[in-house]
Amino acid sequence: MAFVEVIRRSMRPEEWTDLRYSWLRRGIIKDRVEITDLKIRDARQVSEDGFEFYPEGWRALKNGDMYFTPDGTAFIEGSIEVPEALRGKELWLYHHTAAEMIVRVNGRYAGGIDPNRDRMLITPFIGSDWKVNIEIEGYNRSKPDDERNPESMASRGCRQIFDGMYIVTIDHDVLGLYYDMTLLIDITKSKHFDEDAREYIKKELNAALNYVDFETFQGADKAREHIEKRIYSNTDFRSSGNVALIGHSHLDIAYYWRRIHVVEKNARTILIQMRLMDQYPDFHYTHTQPYVYETLEKYHPELFAELKEKVKSGQFEPVGAMYVEPDCNIPSAESLIRQCLYGQHYYRKAFGLTVDTAWLPDVFGNSWILPQILRKSGVNYFISNKMSTWNDTNRFPHNNFLWKGLDGTMIYACVPPTHFITWNMPSQIMENWDAYQDKERGGATLSMFGYGDGGSGATEEMIEMMHRFDKLSIMPKTKHMRADEYLHSNFDGNTELSVWDGELYLEMHRGTFTTKSNLKAYNRMLESKLRSAEIVSLIRAKEGKAYPADTIRDTYKKFLLNQFHDILPGSHINPVYEDAMNDYRAVDSALDGILDEKGDLYFNSLNWKRSGVHFIESEAGKSIRHGKKGFFAYPAIDSLSSGTVKDATGSDTSWFSVSGMTVTTPFYTIEFAEDASIKSLKDRKTGREWVKGGFNKLHLYQDTPGMYDAWDILPNYDEVEYDLSVEKKLSLDAADSTSAEFSAVMRTPGGKSTWKLVVRLFAASPEIETEHIVDWDEKHKLMKAEFSCNVLSRALITDTSAGYASRETHRNTTWQQARFEVSTHLWTDFSEADGGIAVINEGKYGLGVQEDGFSVSLLRSNIRPDILSDIGHHDFCLTILPHSGNAVEAGINRRAIEYNTPLIRTEKALSASWDFGPLYLETAKLSEDGKKIVYRLSEQDGMRGRLDLGRKVETLNMLEDHEGWTESIEYKPFEIITIAEDLDA
Amino acid sequence: MEDYIVKTLAPKLRGDGGWVEFVSYENGVLTLVFRGECSKCLILNRCLDWMEKEILRDLGETVRIEAIRRKPYFWDMA
Repeated sequence: MAFVEVIRRSMRPEEWTDLRYSWLRRGIIKDRVEITDLKIRDARQVSEDGFEFYPEGWRALKNGDMYFTPDGTAFIEGSIEVPEALRGKELWLYHHTAAEMIVRVNGRYAGGIDPNRDRMLITPFIGSDWKVNIEIEGYNRSKPDDERNPESMASRGCRQIFDGMYIVTIDHDVLGLYYDMTLLIDITKSKHFDEDAREYIKKELNAALNYVDFETFQGADKAREHIEKRIYSNTDFRSSGNVALIGHSHLDIAYYWRRIHVVEKNARTILIQMRLMDQYPDFHYTHTQPYVYETLEKYHPELFAELKEKVKSGQFEPVGAMYVEPDCNIPSAESLIRQCLYGQHYYRKAFGLTVDTAWLPDVFGNSWILPQILRKSGVNYFISNKMSTWNDTNRFPHNNFLWKGLDGTMIYACVPPTHFITWNMPSQIMENWDAYQDKERGGATLSMFGYGDGGSGATEEMIEMMHRFDKLSIMPKTKHMRADEYLHSNFDGNTELSVWDGELYLEMHRGTFTTKSNLKAYNRMLESKLRSAEIVSLIRAKEGKAYPADTIRDTYKKFLLNQFHDILPGSHINPVYEDAMNDYRAVDSALDGILDEKGDLYFNSLNWKRSGVHFIESEAGKSIRHGKKGFFAYPAIDSLSSGTVKDATGSDTSWFSVSGMTVTTPFYTIEFAEDASIKSLKDRKTGREWVKGGFNKLHLYQDTPGMYDAWDILPNYDEVEYDLSVEKKLSLDAADSTSAEFSAVMRTPGGKSTWKLVVRLFAASPEIETEHIVDWDEKHKLMKAEFSCNVLSRALITDTSAGYASRETHRNTTWQQARFEVSTHLWTDFSEADGGIAVINEGKYGLGVQEDGFSVSLLRSNIRPDILSDIGHHDFCLTILPHSGNAVEAGINRRAIEYNTPLIRTEKALSASWDFGPLYLETAKLSEDGKKIVYRLSEQDGMRGRLDLGRKVETLNMLEDHEGWTESIEYKPFEIITIAEDLDA
Repeated sequence: MEDYIVKTLAPKLRGDGGWVEFVSYENGVLTLVFRGECSKCLILNRCLDWMEKEILRDLGETVRIEAIRRKPYFWDMA
């Protein structure tokens, strides 16, 4: 039936209510007096506590002036004497601004103003002389703390108009009515609530507003009485649910701001939350990341002293054992352990607390090795929102559950159903309950409230909402509480929880395994170097040299800071990248100082005798790798010992032959294509062909994931592919008795980027090393190296840094389809029962999953948030290793560790007699109390066994707390074990 | 002028997620390309005024900035 849509031209009843609701805002401020004696000084923050001031110095600040500059901090000072008429009243400082301001009144931290709040109570800071001296440090961003607040977005921009600053009083009847209306209008607009109830509330709101004279705002009290009587007292409409409300603010240590800025962002957030606690004694707030507490203690000791009191009283709750909220895909097991060690030790020192939470709401997926690390670091509860709110394919099936780790360790896990940033509106709480999947077994659901990303946190409005929830029969049951109360009461002893066994893969942000390649490579290199520095220092300490404990701890912390989940994954603006690389260079330099590499001896820091081919840097060497001269050798140096390595390279090249594009070595007959990809790789001993399709084959794809450019790779990334032109066909560049080096040079379309692909073959090793030397100047492109193998298998084996995980390669269900791009660590393997192909990498983490193998994601070129992301020079290696047996039988993990662990040059021979059998010595360090040697051992092959130590050692948790004594270690698959013994042992 | 834009003003805009590139400077007209957050800034004109004042103060030259916005592809709806 045809019909004509009637467009309504008059105002609907609900529009009339909305309009009058907005008018209420005009009546909130009762009296106001402008502060006209104001001055401002512009600056730019250049360090954690340093500012560069603009040459204009102080200038008067008048209503209507422009203020703030790009990346600017402004200091504002002013004074006023409270007029007679306002004395004795409750006084507030009012200023509407896009900036983030820490406000001192009469020399004391009084509160904060930011885009999420425009007034703060100042009565407690005014003395009997009624003078008000104001000092403000304001920091303005083009990107506000929280983009979800529309008011923040409306006022964004580097240059702002100063709207005046006022001392005001509040009409609490109007304000109370405004909050009532905020709460109830939100319900009327939410489909999560019963339709009849919403209609009823709409009708009564209209009736309530009819009491108000919008010229004088008289009648607000009567409107509130009406709401109390007709809505709050009505119990006809009922709902179910049990929701815990936890105040929190997400604080990215770096993102659209640099880490230097987070010192003040954090201080402002904590200050604001503490003032809310003063205003509302029932308000509790959770705050994470020991690192930011450290900065508060260092730069704002007065605030920190107040914070300690609030922690003691229980209102302020430190959560999150990890030093920062790190990325949990890329850091190694030892890095994640150190996040906990240094985080928990700081909390103990600062507050006498060991927290039992890993608070990681925004992290882009979580490694399967985490449960064990967390449980052994005093953590019983893991919290992360991301999988429930961001998965692009499958709905993560649990919210409150048990997470089973790679080694079998279980941890209580909470993946709240909704975002970690909410503003505590009824619709958000009801949505949370509706989405909660463990209603019958998980207890209450968790809803976090508070603005964030850049801090700020809960507001007066959010708390006022909370105080009204119990009055509404249509709301689920809610209770505001601390995080520990929620976790303990809903998880402890709960035997009905479901179990999730596997990594907590995030079906989103798959590009963060690859974006900012240089950061990731440096991270990998430094993880190895930190390990070596501790081991070398320990051995030298046994010989009398002082162990550089403070330097190592400080260096480690600087390193861990940069594993934050918007730094290492690459999702940040350009200055954050520059800061991170500078920090890495500083870490590198500090470790150079510790290792003090010189002399003719080479120390093997691994606890097994090395056997693989190794590049030794030497000015006399004739080979070049990573732009440095050297030679290839097979340093057979014993476990934790020093030895010499001679350059035995000769000129005899008879070990290989070239015929056209076919190269024959002692191990293989290899047929290359002009672009250095391998068309055929035949094992000469077995005759086995390893290649089926593209192998060592570069592919350049269109990579346009949209707004989350740095974060995402889309499932259809391979639909548009660009041809590379071969500028130099594969040819032999150099050869000697040890190795032969071939290379091809390719160009991207338009010739913007040059990609030199070097292939190294060895006389005495079956490894085939590829070096990618790249000058990269692309936009919206992804380069991958394909490895399609003549292997029938349904699983990739990928390294987790503490054992291996199996990943299905078929696409039978949406769960496999969503995992088209996964993370790995040092190596990847694709094998049949009696052989397969491993690829060992140097600092690569992204892996495309194929039915017949995999692709290594090499470089991306996104433009948001950093226009220059990955543009520039890159140089990285992969090693292809065909092998017999499976990955464990072939010793791929050990070889990959060797490949990523350089020998250390020393003058004096170093040695240690630490024998831990098949277990990997992940760490040997001086304990944090300086009294003993700590060893961390990692079972990485999935095996069970017993190790007799022949002496009594102390067993520790990962926080280095005493657990017991033993003379033998019973280990199980993928277990990480920490033991200690006396320094003179 | 190019040196000043690259070394003095650009780092400040970059700190805010913005991006500016020098194109030309002829007859008092300074042409700049704005990318990143600047490319969609609703109040970019305020920033241009500020840049002109900074240039006047530091280089003693009165310029008029011609801003070319280059939005990233995902914001560049025709």
